[in-house]
Amino acid sequence: MTAEMAAPLGAPTLHRPDTLDEVCALLGSLDQAMVYGGGTAVQILIKQGVLFASDLVDLSLVPDLDGIERTDTGLRVGAMVSLRRMETDPVVRRIVPLAAQVYGHVANPRVRNTASVGGNLAHGDYRLDPPTALMVLGARVELRSSAGVRHVPVRDFFVGFQETAVAPGELVTAVEIPAQTGSSSGFAKLSSQSVNDWPCASAAALVTSPVQGQRELRLGLGALAEVPKYVSVDVPSDAGVADAVRLGQEAAGPVIDPIPDIRGGADFKRRLGLVAVEDAIRAAWGSTGGTETGAAGRSTGKEGSDARRNSRRRWWRSR
Amino acid sequence: MLGETRVAAGGAVGERWARTDARAKVRGELLYAADQPLRPCLDVVVHRSTRPHALIGSVDTERAMAVDGVVAVVTGAQLYKLFGNALMTGPAFSDQPCLAVDRVRYIGEPVAAVLARGLAPARTAADEIEVDYTELEPVHDVDLAVAGGPYVHDVLRPSVVFGDLKHLRGKRDTNVNYEYTLRRGDVAEAAAAEGGRTVHEEFWCPPTHHVPIELPFTAAWRDGDRLEILSATQTPSYVRQSVADLLGIPLNAVRVRSAPLGGSFGAKMYDRLEPLAAVLAWTQRTAVRITASREEAFLLTTRHGAAVTGSMTADKDGRIVAATADVRYDTGAYADVGPRITAKSGMVATGPYRVENVDVRSRCVYTNKPSAGPFRGFGVPQVTWSHESLVDELARECGVDPAEFRRRNLLREGDVAPVGTPMHSADFAGCLDAVTEAVGWDTPLQREEGRLRRGRGVAVGVKAVLTPTIANAVLQLNQDASATLLISTVDMGQGSDTIMAQIAAEALCLGEGQVRVVAADTDVTPYDTITAGSRSTYHTGNAVRRAADAMRDKLLELAAERFGVAVTDVKLTGDGLVSAENQQKVSIPELLHGHFGARGTTLTTEANFTTSWVPYDHETGQSERVTEHWFAGAVAVQLTVDTATGRVHVEHLAVAGDVGRAINPKLVEQQLTGAAIMGVGHALFDQMVFDEGQIVNGTLLDYQLPSVLDVPDKITPIIVESPHRSGPYGAKGVGETTIIPLAPAIANAVRDAIGIRFPRLPLTPERILTALAEQEAGA
Repeated sequence: MTAEMAAPLGAPTLHRPDTLDEVCALLGSLDQAMVYGGGTAVQILIKQGVLFASDLVDLSLVPDLDGIERTDTGLRVGAMVSLRRMETDPVVRRIVPLAAQVYGHVANPRVRNTASVGGNLAHGDYRLDPPTALMVLGARVELRSSAGVRHVPVRDFFVGFQETAVAPGELVTAVEIPAQTGSSSGFAKLSSQSVNDWPCASAAALVTSPVQGQRELRLGLGALAEVPKYVSVDVPSDAGVADAVRLGQEAAGPVIDPIPDIRGGADFKRRLGLVAVEDAIRAAWGSTGGTETGAAGRSTGKEGSDARRNSRRRWWRSR
Repeated sequence: MLGETRVAAGGAVGERWARTDARAKVRGELLYAADQPLRPCLDVVVHRSTRPHALIGSVDTERAMAVDGVVAVVTGAQLYKLFGNALMTGPAFSDQPCLAVDRVRYIGEPVAAVLARGLAPARTAADEIEVDYTELEPVHDVDLAVAGGPYVHDVLRPSVVFGDLKHLRGKRDTNVNYEYTLRRGDVAEAAAAEGGRTVHEEFWCPPTHHVPIELPFTAAWRDGDRLEILSATQTPSYVRQSVADLLGIPLNAVRVRSAPLGGSFGAKMYDRLEPLAAVLAWTQRTAVRITASREEAFLLTTRHGAAVTGSMTADKDGRIVAATADVRYDTGAYADVGPRITAKSGMVATGPYRVENVDVRSRCVYTNKPSAGPFRGFGVPQVTWSHESLVDELARECGVDPAEFRRRNLLREGDVAPVGTPMHSADFAGCLDAVTEAVGWDTPLQREEGRLRRGRGVAVGVKAVLTPTIANAVLQLNQDASATLLISTVDMGQGSDTIMAQIAAEALCLGEGQVRVVAADTDVTPYDTITAGSRSTYHTGNAVRRAADAMRDKLLELAAERFGVAVTDVKLTGDGLVSAENQQKVSIPELLHGHFGARGTTLTTEANFTTSWVPYDHETGQSERVTEHWFAGAVAVQLTVDTATGRVHVEHLAVAGDVGRAINPKLVEQQLTGAAIMGVGHALFDQMVFDEGQIVNGTLLDYQLPSVLDVPDKITPIIVESPHRSGPYGAKGVGETTIIPLAPAIANAVRDAIGIRFPRLPLTPERILTALAEQEAGA
C-alpha cells in the first residue's frame, strides 16, 4: 500500500511505497517524480528552493534494497546501502578495498551515515567521489522500471552535466562491483577550501596485475570535467613509478576540462588534476610491490575511516 | 569605588566552573528564541530586490494577495506614509529602511513583506510579487566609490543613539560617510632619515560572513498600546530604543526579550529583523515572526571588506619610527556601525608599537552591497593584516628575527600609544614570549620535506575597548541564599552567564549553581550598551561586582545589628556571617528570615558602571583617554605549504591573550581557541564572493568554514594575566583577542616557508600555486 503524506503548499508530495513494483508504478505514472533515498542531496535542493519535482518517492520502506551480496564476480550492493557501510563493512573492505576507501572520503560521517549508494550515483554530480572508484573497478549500475531491469556500466552512466543514464520511470536498484583481485589502487582528493569540501580535483587509480609484460593503469577522475571521466593506459610492468605517472598524466590530460568556479579557475584545477593523478598513481604503484615509491604519495591504508583525524592529517601532510 | 579595595571573599573567581547551560545544550533542552512557545504568529517573508541599484516604480502585490493563506502584503512606500523618516534606522546614520522605500541599494534588499498563515504560503506569495525597476548605475568597488559617483545615498542623516557617535554630521554628494584621521609627528621627515628602511604594500581583506549556527529570528506582537519583541539579539537595550523611536512610543511601551544565542559574532546586533517585525506587528495589530533562512542570513550583515595602503619605516637601529595606513572600509549599502569601526580601527592601524610619527586615514564607504556591520574584532583584524604583514617585512629588511624585531618595538606598560592614550594591562611582550616559546621559535626547523615547505610566523594584535559605555546590574539575594542576577548581557556561547555568576558569587561566598542569571528582558533587566566588543566581563562584570559588594555590605550591616557588634567586626564566609568579637554565627537564610520575618523574601541591590573618555581630536585623532582599556594578544604558528597543491596545513597554533585576570580559565581558553579557529578560516578560505553585486557563494554548500579536519594539529591557548587596575578582580574580556593577529601570523609563516608575501586574503591554494609558478618563472 502507499502512504501518501499531506504536503504543505508548494512542496512535493511524499510517497512511501513498500514494494519495488509500487515504486516502479509510481515512477511510471507520476509526472515529475524524484526518488528519495538518503535525502542528503534532495533536502538541500528543497531548502534552496531549486527542487523541480512534483512528487518524492521514498525508498525507505521497500525491503531488500539495503543488502550487500557476495556474487561469483564480486559484490552486488543494494541502492539503499549507506555510504558509511560501504566504508566500514568488512566484506566491502576485503573484496573491493578501493571502493571502501573512496566511500570513506565522501563529505563527512553525518552525510555518509545517511546518504545511499544509489542516491549518490543518481545525484549525477561531476564532483562525486564514488564514481572515480567504481569506474576503475568496472562496476555497473542496475536500473529498474516497470519495463524490467537493465545494466549500465558506471563508465557510461554519467551522460552530461548533472545528467545520468537513468531514464524517466527508472530507479537505481543496485551497483555490481567486480572483485578487486590482483590489482592495486590509490585515491587522491584535493579541495581548495575546507578539507571536507567538494573536491576541486580527485582521482582513483587502479593498476592490474601484469599480463604479457603489461599492466593496465586505469584512472577515474572527479571534478575535472562536466562528468566523471575514465581513461586507461597500458604500462610496461617493469616501468618505474615516474614512467607510470607520466603515462597516466598523458592519458588524463586530454580529458581534463574543468569548470571554473569559486573553488578555482580552470588552469588551477587542471594543474591540481594532474597532481591528483600523480598522487593516486603513486599510492597505487606503491602497493604493487614495485621498486620505486614516491615520498609524497604514501598511502596510510587507514584513509577514510571517519574521525580518525590523525590518519587523515597524516594523509594531508603527505599530499 | 565601592568595595573594590577589599580582598575577595572567595572560591569563585579563577575557578573552572562548568558552563551554566552546558547540560541543557548537550541534551538539546536549551530553548533558543525560535524554540520558545509563542502565541500564534503570522509568518513574514520578504520579497527581495534583484537589482543592485534602482528606483522602485510600481510594486504589484495582487497575485501575492491571492495566494491562499496570505493575510497582508506591505510595501516600503506604505510604511513610509505612516512613519516618514522615522522608518530609517541605524546606530550611526538613520539610513536603513526595513523595506526599501523608493530605491533599492543592493541585491537582496527587502522590498515588500508578506504576512501569511504559515511559512510556505508566505514564501510562495513573496515570489509572486513583481517590482518594476528603473536601473541606476551601481558602484561595487570601494575605491571607485571613494573616487566619486554614483552615490548610494543622496543625503546622509546621522542618528543620535550612542555617545561616541555624537559628532557625526550630515553630508551630500559623497559615498564616504565617515573619516577618521590619526596624525602624530612628521612621517615624511622620519621616513627620509638616513639609514632608514621603509616597506609599503597594498592590502585587501574580503568581506566575510559570521555564520552563527542559530539563524536570526524575531517575533513581535502588539498588546494594546505596547509592543513585545522576542529576538535573537546581542543588543536588547539598543533594540528597545530603536523600536520606540521608530513607533514614536515611550520606552516602557516596548518590551524586548532576548534568549541564549546559538552563536552570533556580531551578526545579531542593532537593527536586523526587529524594525520590520515591529512595524508589521504594530500597523497590522497582530503577532508576527520572521525566521531568516541560511541564505537570507548572508544578506543581513557581513564583515567589512577593507583595502589598506600601508607603510612602515625603521631607523638604522631597527626602531620603528614611522607608519602610515590609508584604510577604506566597504560598508555596503547602509552604514550600520561602520563609522565606529572606521574610527576604532583607525586609531590602532599602526599596531601595538612605539611609533612617534604616524599618519592614518580611515574611511567608511558606501557601495551597492549588503550592509557590513560588526564582526568579532570590529574592523581591527583588517588593519592588523596590514601592520603585522608590514612589520614582518620590515624585520626581514633589517635582517632581524621578526619576533625579536617586534619585541624591541612593542608598547610597554606606561608607554603612550600613537593615539595618545597610555598603555595599561596590555602585556604584548608577555603574549609574544609565550606563543613563540610554545612553538619552539628558536629551535631548528626542517624546512623541506618532499614537496612540503615548512615555516613559522608570528603576529601581535591590539584593540581598544569601546568607550564610553554603560552597564547596570540588579542583584536579588533570596532568603535561601540563592541569588538572582538581572543584567542585559546576552549569553551567546561566550559563557557570560557563568562568568557573571562567578563574579557575583565571589563577594558573597556563594558556590557553583547558586547564582542564576536572568535572560535579558527590558521590562526586567536594566540597560546595558551592548553585548559585544569583548566588553561584558569588564563592564557588566564591574556592575555585577559592585552590586555583589553592596549586597555583602548589607548582609554585614544586618548581621552586625543582630549580633550587636560593629560592622567592621563581622565577616562573611562560606558558612555564613561571623562576629570576630563574640564568635556569634548566622547563616544567610537565618539572617534574612530573622530580618524579614518570613521565608522566600529577597534583598536587592543595584549598581551602575559607566566608562568615560576624552573624545578624539577630529584633526589629529589624539586623545589622552580614548579607551577604558586595551586588548593584547599574540599568535605564533608553524605550518607547511604543499608546493604541488598550494595547500597550507597548520601544524601548531599557539595563541595568547592578556585577559587581566581569568575569571574562568576554561572559558578563557575556549574563547582564545574559538577565535583562533575562526581566524584560520579567514586566513585560508573564508570569503564572500560578489559578482556585480550578486553574492556568488551565499549558501553553506559554497561558503566554507573550517571543519574539524581543518583544525590545526595542535592548538595551545595561553592565558596571560596582567591585572587591570579597575577590572573586576583585574579581569578584561577576551572574545576577540586572538582573531585579530591570526591571519597575518599564518601569512607570515607562509612567507617564511616559501619566500612569498601575500597581501590579499584569503591564502587560497590557487593564489599560492599561482605565486609559486610566478616565483619559479622569475627565478
